[in-house]
Amino acid sequence: MSSTPIRVTVNGVERELEVAPNATLLDFVRDRLQLTGTKECCDLGECGACTVLVDGRAVNSCLMLAVEADTRDVTTIEGLVENGRPNALQDAFLDKGAVQCGFCIPGQVMAAQYLLRRNPHPTLAEVREGLSGNLCRCGGYVQICEAVLAASEAAT
Amino acid sequence: MSTDPNVVIGTSQRRAGGLARVLGRQQFVGDIALERMLHVKLVHLDCGHARILSIDTNAAAAVRGVVSILTSADLPHPMPRFGPVHDDRPILAVEETKYHGQPVAAVAAETKEGAEAAADLVRVEYEALRGVYTVASALDPESPLVQAPELRSDDPLRHTNVLRELKYGWGEVEAAKADLVVENSYAFPMVTHFAIEPHAFIAAPNDDGGVVIWTATQNPFQMQRIIARVLGLPLARVRVISPDPGGAFGGKQHPKYEPLVAFLALKTGRPVRLLLTLEETFQEVRRTSCEIHVRTGFQADGTISFQDIQSDFLLGAYADVAERVVAKSNYLACGPYRVPNARIAVRALLSHTTPSTAFRGFGTPQVSWAHESQLDDAARRLGMDRVEIRLRNLARKGEAFVPGDTPCDGDWAESVRKAAAAIGWGSPVAAGRGRGLAVAIKASATTGASYSIVRLHWDGSATVLAGTSDMGQGARTVLAQVAAHELGIPIDSINVVMGDTATVPFDLQTSASRSTVFMGQAVARACQDINGQLELIAADLGLDAKVGVVELLRARFSEVRGEVIGVGSYRSEYQPGHPLGGRPSFYEFTCTASEVEVDQGTGEILLVRHVTVADVGKALNPQHVEMQDEGAAVMGLGHTLMEHMLLDDSGRIRNLGALDYRIPTTKDLPLEMHSLVVENADGPGPYGSKGAGEGGLMATAPAVASAVTEATGVVIRDLPLTPERVWRALQEGAARLA
Amino acid sequence: MQPFSYARPATLAEAFVLLDEHGDDACMLAGGTDVVVALRNRTLRPKVVIDLKRVAELQPAITEAGPWLTITATTTLAEIDEDQRIRAHHPALIDAAATVGSAQIRNRATLTGNICHASPAADTAPALLAYGAIVHLASARGTRRVDLEEFFVGPRKTVLQRGELVTAIGLPVAAERRGATFARITRRRGVDLATISLCCIVESAGRTVLAYGAVGPRPFVVADESGLLADPSAGEEAKDEVLRHLLTNASPISDVRGSREYREAMLLVMSRRALRQSIERLEAA
Repeated sequence: MSSTPIRVTVNGVERELEVAPNATLLDFVRDRLQLTGTKECCDLGECGACTVLVDGRAVNSCLMLAVEADTRDVTTIEGLVENGRPNALQDAFLDKGAVQCGFCIPGQVMAAQYLLRRNPHPTLAEVREGLSGNLCRCGGYVQICEAVLAASEAAT
Repeated sequence: MSTDPNVVIGTSQRRAGGLARVLGRQQFVGDIALERMLHVKLVHLDCGHARILSIDTNAAAAVRGVVSILTSADLPHPMPRFGPVHDDRPILAVEETKYHGQPVAAVAAETKEGAEAAADLVRVEYEALRGVYTVASALDPESPLVQAPELRSDDPLRHTNVLRELKYGWGEVEAAKADLVVENSYAFPMVTHFAIEPHAFIAAPNDDGGVVIWTATQNPFQMQRIIARVLGLPLARVRVISPDPGGAFGGKQHPKYEPLVAFLALKTGRPVRLLLTLEETFQEVRRTSCEIHVRTGFQADGTISFQDIQSDFLLGAYADVAERVVAKSNYLACGPYRVPNARIAVRALLSHTTPSTAFRGFGTPQVSWAHESQLDDAARRLGMDRVEIRLRNLARKGEAFVPGDTPCDGDWAESVRKAAAAIGWGSPVAAGRGRGLAVAIKASATTGASYSIVRLHWDGSATVLAGTSDMGQGARTVLAQVAAHELGIPIDSINVVMGDTATVPFDLQTSASRSTVFMGQAVARACQDINGQLELIAADLGLDAKVGVVELLRARFSEVRGEVIGVGSYRSEYQPGHPLGGRPSFYEFTCTASEVEVDQGTGEILLVRHVTVADVGKALNPQHVEMQDEGAAVMGLGHTLMEHMLLDDSGRIRNLGALDYRIPTTKDLPLEMHSLVVENADGPGPYGSKGAGEGGLMATAPAVASAVTEATGVVIRDLPLTPERVWRALQEGAARLA
Repeated sequence: MQPFSYARPATLAEAFVLLDEHGDDACMLAGGTDVVVALRNRTLRPKVVIDLKRVAELQPAITEAGPWLTITATTTLAEIDEDQRIRAHHPALIDAAATVGSAQIRNRATLTGNICHASPAADTAPALLAYGAIVHLASARGTRRVDLEEFFVGPRKTVLQRGELVTAIGLPVAAERRGATFARITRRRGVDLATISLCCIVESAGRTVLAYGAVGPRPFVVADESGLLADPSAGEEAKDEVLRHLLTNASPISDVRGSREYREAMLLVMSRRALRQSIERLEAA
């Protein structure tokens, strides 16, 4: 199986690499780029732990082949940092006690980031809908939703 | 030396380690890559109980980058076996697979893809065998034995699939008088932990002939002991590093593939990493399922006269810690009530299924499902209010509700009243809706030991060494709060080090909601040790102790640097006469109340309001307590409404993976959730605290089921309450009336 | 996943060459939310994966021409959700598309992919069928149109021939008013596959169309031309009789999501409710 060259911008940095066609974007980000903030869990697009932004849209990176990211703009959790500090949404997560074991958190933050960019002032129902693709077994949904609402309020 | 106690304790300090998590920088085991690391994939069969006829690894070995393939033939003879209690579990399947997913081989290769490709090419010839997959077949004398009798050499039951028979009781059930006897059978299904972090294991050989293991275990010291024994190494040559788990809930308490990766590391001379898929993780851990048959006798006024309980708990192919699960929970199978006569007979049965292990609640959700449903049944038949019947029977503070054992240590009625008020008990309930309320009780740690070392540095900052595992409950934060309070230093100047057998002193394990009490006290005592030393130093230097920590340290260490080291421990010793090996240090008591709306056409349940009340003694970090209790409530809604592992006739799990094993999402939340606490400073932990974190899910099922009964008139005694199950009950109820 | 080659044709002509050359050894890739899962589970083992997303003629687009709204093959469910014309003319399709997975899934999954995967439980199928959708097919040998009803042959089987692909789905824009409802039953309120799904459209002229998913080897559509179902004053028993007759076309099975009996019962319960709601919506229109 031959490698395929791709040119992809990751967290603002353009990379030119060769990837195997059967590598997922998740594999690529974690194993090739060592950006291990994005997590692997169900590998089926059911849990959302692997959520990244591609051209501004939240997607499950386990369901994208790395080759499909050619010419695309990818943002991972590591790309949200502002001047080395957590952004307002990440701060809200900490403030509201939304972080328990933390494994689902990068995916939750990316999904929430996407939600807020499209809908800066969501209702609680819209927040729940927007995060319905992100599982949390620690059960911290209430605090996670509160954090997203708090971040949206702070943004006014 | 201490500052105002309310400054740090009882405040919702930001979760230590939260920043790293929110930035995606937290290193979980699967994020750790070592140089020259090999990738491991397991080979397992699409079958339950089976005989392995042959394993052909030739094609697999030819795959580029494959370095080693291990089968039972490559491991010592006799096959090393391990387990937290019984040494019954082999490193790899030998001769037979005993459950769907048990690995028969392991491949180590230079790349993940290579290992996958090679694992795919390992050819295993096998023959499906008749298996034990249910309680009935475990009890059937014609069924095959799950464990060979030789494995259970001294056990009189070794020629059966009964691992253990336990009996508890007091009084005289046969002679007890009762105006009403309620007799029912209840079942609790197989469910799995589904932590979002699948299991991951790394092992690397040391230069000194030893081995280092990275595993997200809640119990690094036990892991160290077991690896050392299985490999024949001294403890000092085995180092277990346990990065914070991405959720554990009991599923990461005991060894699984650590011995396997340790062998591979020593064999290849290289670090190896095994990442399980989510499906493989489901095949590894589950809650102990059960069938419970209860007869409860009541007087006409609702007072309990006797409880006569017979249960069968279905363990997996290996005992793991499940016998303890069965023992501890059934010891309190009567619930937190005054029961003058009790007879509890329970069997722990082996089966050809996923080994059941510790799972948040440790058997209590199962037994409370039964005892609470019984009380509701009695209340309905006696025309009594369901809260009233509980208040009538709840043990009172100081009452030894299990004769001779730790008495009731909380105002449990207060929790019930608080929950009842929060759910609006007694006020009119809308059509199609119903309310329920249930309680549960769990014995905390009975024996155990936690040690802590606290190092107060010369600049006034401190390092706390504690072997507790921070798996989401925020242990690191709470222990830092304790140290900050005891030493009178800012919480930001404290670093808590956990998870490394080479650097932190012994801790039994993180489980049973014990850490705030046991490790909290150990840390507190270590700090008190330091304070004692500081007083002596002050006297030595002719200084007033009130001069402050930083001043004192500066004076002491101005010429020659150093530090002040404190050691603390908290132990609860083994009591040979006690059925559980020791009296519970405290009880975790919980009350759940729920209001539901049932769509009687489809059977769908909508949770309108859900309340949990935790009796915590003192909430050291209120935000953490709320987080944990709400999280537990959501997890409880999982097994109440939607979770069950489905097996086919050959013991294969039909719904592996996230597609068909459903857990609650944001859209499954109750419309309103409230987590309340009762704080009476009546616990043995620091500042009167008790443990917390398991309560929220222990009484969820009976509370919701009771609400469903009020809403619909039908009683359901099996879980989960899927729309179809509710619908069927409604159909059957209607048919009976017709 | 086992290894495969990856091809990314830039035009339809190039795509046809690849499809004709590789036949069953190839599989097409658009959103990937079904295909990548199948690749991971090894239920799909192609030698070549043909990514259609850069084919010039298939770029995402929803165009209105005469009585048709045409949705190209690479248009995602998110893009459909954001389209005001579909929301106005085919609201039940918007509702159905919103139940497919999560936001992350809908940002990738395509409407065409959903029908080509041809799961009997495809969430968009009942709405598409009820609205009378057609499928545009093309190959090196030309183009053809097929009613969606005929497009589905059986579980995971469509009428696509070797070398053929779907270029677009067409939705007729109705002149008359109608009330439409999409409904389904799942095991949990959160993201889930359907135990049963259905779409009910009541037309102002009195015709009622009902389409169902997850209750047979393929989604199917039936209609009541008599006007009885659409009649708000007709009795429940009379409507039930018509519904029961229409539902003899359903053949649900028992699986991990539900038993046959439950599905059969829910067909009637949910059909009644959807019908009531569609009548209300028609009145409001």
